[in-house]
Amino acid sequence: MRLKDKVAIVTGAGSIRPGMGNGKATAILFAREGARVVAADIRLEAAEETAEIIKREGGEATAVQVDVTKEAGAKELVETTISRYGSLDILFNNVGGAYGGTSLKVTVEEWDATMDLNLKSVLLVCKYAVPEMIKSGGGAIVNNSSMAAYHSHGVYAYSASKAGVIALTRCLAAGLAKENIRVNCVAPGLMDTPLVAPIMTEKRIRRVEERVPLRRHGKAEETAYTVLFLASPEASYITGQTIPVDGGLSAQ
Amino acid sequence: MGIVNFSLEGKVALVTGGSRGIGQASALAFAEAGADVVVSSRKLPDLETVAEEIRSRGRKSLAIAAHIAKIEESQNLVEKVTAEFGRIDILMNNAGTNPYFGPIIDAEEWAWDVTTNVNLKGPFLLSQLVARVMRQQGGGSIINTASVGGLRPGGQQGIYSVTKAALIMLTRVMAREWGQYNIRVNAIAPGVIKTRLSEALWKEAAAGEAATTRTALGRLGETRDIAGAVLYLASDASSYVTGDTIVIDGGVV
Repeated sequence: MRLKDKVAIVTGAGSIRPGMGNGKATAILFAREGARVVAADIRLEAAEETAEIIKREGGEATAVQVDVTKEAGAKELVETTISRYGSLDILFNNVGGAYGGTSLKVTVEEWDATMDLNLKSVLLVCKYAVPEMIKSGGGAIVNNSSMAAYHSHGVYAYSASKAGVIALTRCLAAGLAKENIRVNCVAPGLMDTPLVAPIMTEKRIRRVEERVPLRRHGKAEETAYTVLFLASPEASYITGQTIPVDGGLSAQ
Repeated sequence: MGIVNFSLEGKVALVTGGSRGIGQASALAFAEAGADVVVSSRKLPDLETVAEEIRSRGRKSLAIAAHIAKIEESQNLVEKVTAEFGRIDILMNNAGTNPYFGPIIDAEEWAWDVTTNVNLKGPFLLSQLVARVMRQQGGGSIINTASVGGLRPGGQQGIYSVTKAALIMLTRVMAREWGQYNIRVNAIAPGVIKTRLSEALWKEAAAGEAATTRTALGRLGETRDIAGAVLYLASDASSYVTGDTIVIDGGVV
């Protein structure tokens, strides 16, 4: 077990719709590898569903309802973790999404909401999680970016916020290495997760089969294993990096 | 969730440059994860020791001497592995050389030829041969040992840097073309890892200190720092990752 006795927070740990999302799959995998998991989500029932799956498998989890786009929420999440498990070793900043508004038609409200959800949330949770990791003697942070950070995407705010996550990852990695905290990023490509279920059309599936070298969508579990790798001691000399989980899309 | 961990149970791996350093550490990691492992390099004696270490972990192993930039030796290597094991699931192109340390303005032709042959032509030829086996069996994973020198020019090691940059592009080219066969191709780009090949970069105290200072983590890498990433890339844990180069440099950000 790679994460035995570690304490991990996963934000966005519930699925927005039925099925397996990146956060849910990662929370479950962390628990299978021995971690005690705080499954955080803005929807309590989503967080609870993930925590229930973990407990049914014999793992340890706590569901927390929290809005990590608010400083008070981020603070409370970390405080709850410490009061429940006493320390913090691993953080997966997974929460994210897009609020409509393609191209320059985006409203200021949509832009701000997307930046808050995808980028500010990372900063806020780190702000309160890092001091606790320092107390534990170090830790590992993994942020969820997206291949949209590199490729143009109809929703500008989504691309820009996810590129911001990569830049923030590098800043945090440089700043926190002396505290023995590694900070890395995953960048999922075209995934078949509940988040994109509404746009999973026959046409999209065919396009993916033509364009992606591995000729299929990715699965949430495939993101989860990459996050696990980056969070584990096996990635002990890797920090500031972003691993695309994209079936080779960006290799072209 | 369908992925069975980082397990390599039932798989066959081939590691070139397997007698020392990163290759040796990776071969042992593969064996510990359940794979049978063939190690290859130009000279046999050190290789036999590694094969013994693999067998002591309860896995099968072969040590085969081969100069992979020579097509007939690469062919012979692949034939021997498939004759013995019937398949190749993992290929790690780790054999590399850096025979000339100095400014490229003074480099002689032999340095170019030797470095490109071992670092680039060798991985190309061997990957091509192994990919034909992998295509037939329904897939596989290829890992190329590149270097951070392939991303930023390394001082005194210009030719080496050029070959490693080309190896990163070869990785992407193969990933793009071979994804349809379920063959994943990725690279690692180590920073300064304490091996014999990189001695010039760390053995002398001042050089070692300078290299250490550049890393955010404040230490040079060990071969075990590499083995974890290689195991991730070899196993189904990275099943949707191809064409990527993982930088393992302690954070030169």
